[in-house]
Amino acid sequence: MVVITTTAVPAHVRGALSRWMVEPSTGVYVGTMSARVRDELWAAVSASVGDGAAVCLCPADNEQGFDVRTAGERRREVVDWEGMMLVQMNPLASAEVEMERQVPEGW
Amino acid sequence: MSADNPRTALARPTLAMLPRVSDNLSFLYADIVRIVQTDTGVCAETETDSGHIQRVYLPTASLGCLLLGPGTSITQPALATFLRHGTTVVTSGSGGILHYGAWQPSEKSTFWLQHQVAAYADEARRLEVARAMYEMRFEETPPAGVPVGQLRRLEGNRMQKLYRNLSTKYKLQPFRRNYDPGAWDRQNPINKAYGAANAALYGVVHTVIAHLGCSPALGFVHHGKQHSFVYDVADLYKAETTVPLAFSLHASDFPERDARYRLRTHYRLYRLIPRMVRDIQYLLAPEDAEEEDEAEGQWRVVELWDPDGGGSVGGGVNYGGGDAARAVPASELDVPEGGH
Repeated sequence: MVVITTTAVPAHVRGALSRWMVEPSTGVYVGTMSARVRDELWAAVSASVGDGAAVCLCPADNEQGFDVRTAGERRREVVDWEGMMLVQMNPLASAEVEMERQVPEGW
Repeated sequence: MSADNPRTALARPTLAMLPRVSDNLSFLYADIVRIVQTDTGVCAETETDSGHIQRVYLPTASLGCLLLGPGTSITQPALATFLRHGTTVVTSGSGGILHYGAWQPSEKSTFWLQHQVAAYADEARRLEVARAMYEMRFEETPPAGVPVGQLRRLEGNRMQKLYRNLSTKYKLQPFRRNYDPGAWDRQNPINKAYGAANAALYGVVHTVIAHLGCSPALGFVHHGKQHSFVYDVADLYKAETTVPLAFSLHASDFPERDARYRLRTHYRLYRLIPRMVRDIQYLLAPEDAEEEDEAEGQWRVVELWDPDGGGSVGGGVNYGGGDAARAVPASELDVPEGGH
């Protein structure tokens, strides 16, 4: 099984994905395909995400049993802790931090 | 049961939601992070150069063992979450080299501990277990009636031969095992890799022992240390895992890191953890080695010892009044499950 999730990708990418996979929830595509088809599809998708982002999840022969591939820049980043795949939440850019800090003084 | 409430079930997972030890991810080594419980989960925090916080969420329930290296700190709620999910938390030295101690979850059956203590306390049974351990390491049966001292010498010779063969294979100087922690940085890559790999192996063995509810202190071959049984079990696998691995890293620039990295694939490759479970069960009670599932089913039930009956009677029952028929099992009473 292959799962691809997309955020803010161009409409033609979503249209293309829907030809191979079903979309049970907005931006989430799931389907079964051979490793070769998956790699071709993912190469095409990851090259055309633009300012958006996409994540591909597929079974793999490692300890955790799956592999995560990402395309596009987002706060979440897949990190490798000595062989274990974990997800790191990077800090917000300073402009976004300022927006979050708009809490009244002395609250 | 409180599990009727889905929210409570997520906060205090039922047994069926926790992976068996053989399905667990083996171990995670953390270094220079602060491990905290947030509103939603447990995460490892680091501060970036610009003073912002970076978070890595940790899969507490699917982790068998967490190795805390130097520079880590952990909050009580985070530690409690790990223990609630059955994760052994181990405090280790730099690079996972030393093994200082571990916290174990409290909700464990004592089924295998009872077998361990019974075998340990009986000199004849203890000798049988020690012999069985040497046999597992030799992969052949030593002649009957050979004293343990002789088995120990045979085993020592066998390890020296293994070191010699591997030195020849990699065209190296004769290997000398060096344990001196004071001279750690000056040691050759083989010793560093061996130390790091063994520490990781001890962590995993400790996890398995803790999962079975056994005592790490009551060893059969090793004696007199809190981790005697850990050393006993780890020794069964060194000749085929950590020793060849350490020699293969003789030219590595980062032997400790590489050793841990490769061990992770080895643990998967050799399916070492399920084998450890089976081997420990076989050593402690050859006749009961298939009973792990039944023993696990009793995890949250306390029994009372009954020397006259079948060994134990149900706990949570009021035996006062002499009328057992009227006794009400705790499961039918409205007893809150644990303090929370």
